[in-house]
Amino acid sequence: MTGELLGIIQLTVLVALAATLVMLPPGVALAWWLARSRSPLTSIVETLVTLPLVLPPVATGYLLLRLLGRRGLLGGVIDRIGVDVIFTWRALVIAMVVMGLPLVVRAARAGFEQGTRRFEQMAETLGAGPLRVFFTISLPLARRSVLAGALLGFSRALGEFGASIVVAGSIPGETRTVSLAMYGFLETGRDGDAMRLVAVSLVIALAAVWLSNRLVREGA
Amino acid sequence: MTLPPDVWSVPLALRMALRQGGFSLDVAWEGRCRLLGLFGPSGSGKTTLLEVAAGLRRPQTARIAVGDAVLRDTSAGIDVPIRERGIGYVPQDSALFPHLGVRGNITYGAERGKAVPLQPILAMLSIEPLIDREVSDLSGGERQRVALARAMVSSPRLLLLDEPLSAVDVPLRRRILESLGDWVTMARVPTLHVSHDAGDLQVATDHVLILREGHLAGEGSASEL
Amino acid sequence: MRSRPLWAPLLVAGLTVACGPGACAFGVDHSAQPPGGPLRVSAAVSLTDALTPVARKWEAVGNVHVELNFAASNVLARQILEGAPVDVFISADEAQMNRLVEAGAAGRADVTPLLTNQLVVVTPAGRPLSGTLPSALADAAVKRIAMGDPQGVPAGVYAKAWLESAGLWRQVEPKIVPSNSVRAALAAVDSANADAGIVYGTDAKGHAGVTIAYEVPLADAPPIVYPVGVIAKSPHPDLARLFVAYLQTTPARTVFADAGFVVHDTANAR
Repeated sequence: MTGELLGIIQLTVLVALAATLVMLPPGVALAWWLARSRSPLTSIVETLVTLPLVLPPVATGYLLLRLLGRRGLLGGVIDRIGVDVIFTWRALVIAMVVMGLPLVVRAARAGFEQGTRRFEQMAETLGAGPLRVFFTISLPLARRSVLAGALLGFSRALGEFGASIVVAGSIPGETRTVSLAMYGFLETGRDGDAMRLVAVSLVIALAAVWLSNRLVREGA
Repeated sequence: MTLPPDVWSVPLALRMALRQGGFSLDVAWEGRCRLLGLFGPSGSGKTTLLEVAAGLRRPQTARIAVGDAVLRDTSAGIDVPIRERGIGYVPQDSALFPHLGVRGNITYGAERGKAVPLQPILAMLSIEPLIDREVSDLSGGERQRVALARAMVSSPRLLLLDEPLSAVDVPLRRRILESLGDWVTMARVPTLHVSHDAGDLQVATDHVLILREGHLAGEGSASEL
Repeated sequence: MRSRPLWAPLLVAGLTVACGPGACAFGVDHSAQPPGGPLRVSAAVSLTDALTPVARKWEAVGNVHVELNFAASNVLARQILEGAPVDVFISADEAQMNRLVEAGAAGRADVTPLLTNQLVVVTPAGRPLSGTLPSALADAAVKRIAMGDPQGVPAGVYAKAWLESAGLWRQVEPKIVPSNSVRAALAAVDSANADAGIVYGTDAKGHAGVTIAYEVPLADAPPIVYPVGVIAKSPHPDLARLFVAYLQTTPARTVFADAGFVVHDTANAR
């Protein structure tokens, strides 16, 4: 395995880790709110969160491009601040977060729905405010599901392709992840290198999914 | 009223109407409370009454007041959030936090208000040797005692006990209930004690309300049961 | 029963004989077609907008119908090598044409350089670069440059060769956003997500969202050659040669030039 391939793998793992850390707080918060809320807003939020799971990834990528591109709604503002997003690692993280968040929400929500209510109520009677209840009762009791969600989000981020190729491009050393490099190698005849990356992806994906399933099963 | 006038007590207002599915609870009582018992067959609404007082159930109408503190008054629009009611609630299933250990459970509510000395309570309930154990290691009776300690340590304004020591064998149970009475008087914590055991109520209470099918069917001293 | 005229089967038989056994080997039923056509031309994608009107012009002066097939040059070359019934092939680079010559699918004498394209530097409309091109590409203000993937897309390979000869490659390389195609690179510039792009002049022309900021002089750029060749196994070699000759006449050259191609002056070379 050459230095070039190792560099690609390292970049992918680091950016995917960063994306996982970014997607966890909002994902867990959303999951907790969806598990508790009786508001009519719930189904709308639920649908929006599930959208990236169902839309073709390239479509999600184009939506992000319209939003964050220099001539886009948000992008124009960001550009004036002087921050580059499209075709940088930032766009890569955003693509990974958008695609992985639904998985975090789904897994964590199951954990929050599995009978933590009673203990949250008891904590309230003992005087704990909502933040204390969340951090000392809800989250610890749901930790396996949250961890499973984080693993799924990480795996998804590692394998992200459709949205990232649109918003981040495949810039060697900056945004060329394992998936994007694989595609490029196949297009330019570097089949051997492509297969090496396939092997690495297989191993990581298998490990992550197996671990995630273990966690969910043991917690039940 | 079976409570002698020179004994410390607190005025308690318990009015509530709750209708859910086929079940209805309709209670209106006001009086002095130190150790108030609640007696009745299963399904009579005893647990529901406690849950309403704690704020865990939403009645159609209610007025619940302990001393000067009005916890709920639907006609006046008062609805104190659960965490501010100062209720020490001991449910039938104990509901100990499975991940916090005995010490973590007992001290969970301790931050609220005054620091309550831990030792006397642990001694009274005979749970000192359990302080470092995990919840999953405890027997049913041990869990109930830990749950009771947890409520007491949180310096509550009102103690609500739902068959709190049913899994504890009778001699220990009676001893604890007697000590509890002394503690309640010393700490000035009015207590509402639900039980279907007349003997327990005789030891543990000054006065008993009888609940039948969601209605107050009578009241008197425990010996009259 | 007389449901058909007597001469119909005779005509069919006659045409079958006239087409010859060679044509039938391609699995195509030539017996039902007018003698001498259609002419099948495979050409590189970048020629789509220009070649179509040229072919229609040729047809308009009484010639046989032309069937055009546009795809990536390497894909077309492979099709021809596998026996597709093609009469004329126009490739985007010499490499693909050489494949055919080496395999005997086209005679060396039947291959002529037809067109050249020009590399241009484009900027998003309304966002010009300050500084003189091409050296301005190395400025810090230019953060991202879109072009075809220099590892495979012909336009990208050409662009990299030019940048290397201009001494700019080392500074420009980290800013490159490699694209699958010239169209994708154009889109990146159009949306202003890239500060500049290097594409073919023919693709940039008429594209409203980008401005051509610099035309790489032909002398500086690597030779971009679109060769045209008559396929050896063509069923209509004479017709094919006629068409190739037509591509080099003034009416055809005007169309190509308008599209932005530079026409190879083969009249003098011959």
